[in-house]
Amino acid sequence: MTHTTTQITSPPKPSEILLHLGPQHPLQPGPFLLDLKIEGETIREAELKIGYIHKGMEKVFEDRTYIQILPLTDRICYLASNSNNDVYCRGMEELLGIEPTDRAKYLRVLTNELCRIQSHLLGIGEYTTDVGFLTMFIYMVREREGIVSLLEAITGSRLNHNYARFGGVAHDLPPGYKEMALKTLGELKKLVKSHDEMLSSDSVYLKRTKGVGVLTASQAKELGVAGPPLRATGVEYDLRRVEPYLVYDDLDFDVITQTDGDVFSRVKVRLLEILESIYIIEQVLDQMPTGPYKQNVMPYITRPAPGEVYSRIEDPRGEMGMYIISDGSDKPYRFRIRGPAFATAQALPPLLVGTYVADVAAIAASMDSCTSEVDR
Amino acid sequence: MGIFVDIYDAIMNFLIFFFSTWELAPWVRGIVGGAVIGGVFGGALVMVYLERKFLGDIQSRIGPNRVGGRFGLLQLIADAVKLFTKEDIIPANADKWLFIGAPIVALTSGFLMVAVIPFDLLVIKGNEYALAVSTMDVSILYLEAVSALAIFGIFMAGWGSGSKYSLLAGFRNIAKMIGYEVPLGITIISVAVMAHSLDIVEIVKAQSSIWFIIAQPMGFVVFGIALLADVGRIPFDQTEAEEELIAGWATEYSGMRWGLAFFAEYFHAVVGAIVVSLIFLGGWNGLPLIGNLWIPGIFWVIVKAIFVMMGMIWVRGALPRLRIDQVSDIGWKVLIPLAMLNLVWSTIIGLMWA
Repeated sequence: MTHTTTQITSPPKPSEILLHLGPQHPLQPGPFLLDLKIEGETIREAELKIGYIHKGMEKVFEDRTYIQILPLTDRICYLASNSNNDVYCRGMEELLGIEPTDRAKYLRVLTNELCRIQSHLLGIGEYTTDVGFLTMFIYMVREREGIVSLLEAITGSRLNHNYARFGGVAHDLPPGYKEMALKTLGELKKLVKSHDEMLSSDSVYLKRTKGVGVLTASQAKELGVAGPPLRATGVEYDLRRVEPYLVYDDLDFDVITQTDGDVFSRVKVRLLEILESIYIIEQVLDQMPTGPYKQNVMPYITRPAPGEVYSRIEDPRGEMGMYIISDGSDKPYRFRIRGPAFATAQALPPLLVGTYVADVAAIAASMDSCTSEVDR
Repeated sequence: MGIFVDIYDAIMNFLIFFFSTWELAPWVRGIVGGAVIGGVFGGALVMVYLERKFLGDIQSRIGPNRVGGRFGLLQLIADAVKLFTKEDIIPANADKWLFIGAPIVALTSGFLMVAVIPFDLLVIKGNEYALAVSTMDVSILYLEAVSALAIFGIFMAGWGSGSKYSLLAGFRNIAKMIGYEVPLGITIISVAVMAHSLDIVEIVKAQSSIWFIIAQPMGFVVFGIALLADVGRIPFDQTEAEEELIAGWATEYSGMRWGLAFFAEYFHAVVGAIVVSLIFLGGWNGLPLIGNLWIPGIFWVIVKAIFVMMGMIWVRGALPRLRIDQVSDIGWKVLIPLAMLNLVWSTIIGLMWA
């Protein structure tokens, strides 16, 4: 299979301009460089250069003890910090041969889904502001506030939660949490439905999104794209269903798909996934077992037996995986992160060829890529 | 109520003294012109404040609430102080005189527009005096012509900045304007056909029984959309689309030069709102059927203009930005045919009316 070149090979002709979007540009959530060769308003070639905020996390992790790594996983992508904690802890639990308590499993599902909701809300918000619709961004941030408060009530922090632990979680639910959560989520459900209606019926918005930046299913699979951009192409691939972890086996939910693979579908998938996550959380709050939320003896100084493990999770942005090799010491021998945003970022330049300059913002934002995670 | 009318009449009589010495004293025109420009400047300030507060309401924010009491009344002053004290940078790559001239051209276009805008019609001792700096037989055409001068300002900025983003914005502006000045012109002609005059004063006088928004609603819609494109507000702000072109043609401007460019835009928006209130909403005529309610005409114009401004802000809060090719599509394929249809309609109705 051939796909469009993602490198600008020749200097621009007299009728063309080489336009740098970045490393500083209002479009961007973080620094990256998008070189566009444009003729008039049409993009002829596109090239993405990353690495402006490379933090060398995987190498840093090799020099930290296992428990020291845990808070650092938050910083891979601050919008998905719960998922990152969880996937790391599940990998470590497999290495250590322990199992989280039942209540901890449910608590992790709860926080992961809350994390997904707030990430999707901000993702949609950033997208709408990139097509010039600031109002919806502010509505989304307003709605996100309630979810962030729910997360804060459990984890104690609003952004980098650092909640999961080896074999458990850090805190139990505060008293009266269920009522508080159901109230907030009930309101959110109504608001998200009305926003969905508003976006689906806005003719200017439809003009900007329908049929723009179409990613085909085969292209997406080839580039390793997962999560909402893949499901928007009609592929029913969701790790929660394909390879159920924690307690997703016991929960009832649908895998949201759309068929078109365009910008509109990607945003629609996120909107509907918020509703699905609310449904999951309602079940979790109903079925939450009593019992300890962590192991009686937390393994603080951990020396797992030599071995290796790969654990993965359905991140808000796609498939997040961590590969840990232990040599029996208290630090990992090798650590590798497979981030979802890297895959979606590399799908971007081929989509841009042939579109207009104005669509760059729409397509890039609809992929909901996270520069911090791309560069790690 | 009566006392206010008396005071108003006294002031107006004083002004009429100026008008009657029109030929004798050119400085009188200067004073009136200065007052009107100052008034519209004030209107632009009101629009900026309205935009912040009303848009804040739409977006469930508060808007300015610290500087100058809890309503943030002095926020604009604080902004102006900030702009004045900022460093004025002219990029090394820029074409210096075009760069400096661009905001001046844009603002001058706005000032020239104000010259023919009548705010009221005073009837004193059987003589009619239009409360305007200058009256002419073709004032609406003049208005259309000088408003188009602002395009040069934006293109000068786009070319003179020596920046690729500004240049793209300049291209977009030209593409947009070619498409939108035409429907704007055709709607103005339809209005003139119905009023049997190209003079704004006559156009407003023709609306004493029925506003033109009722007589030709399609014309109002076309004019409103074309005006939004003309003053470059969402959904037609492609020339300064932040997420695409940073700040478009104003990318390289800083300090008060940017302030002037920013102000020129709001100035155009205010003048546009006043023009809509004059040629479609009956100007200084009060509400249809109800009448003037003894309120002086100038207040009717201002109130109607504020309503139009709020409409513009509302549109900004409710719609995303269109893409530039879609903007051209709408201009050429939708607005121009509709404007032509409206011209036919208004010709038929206008003939029957006559």
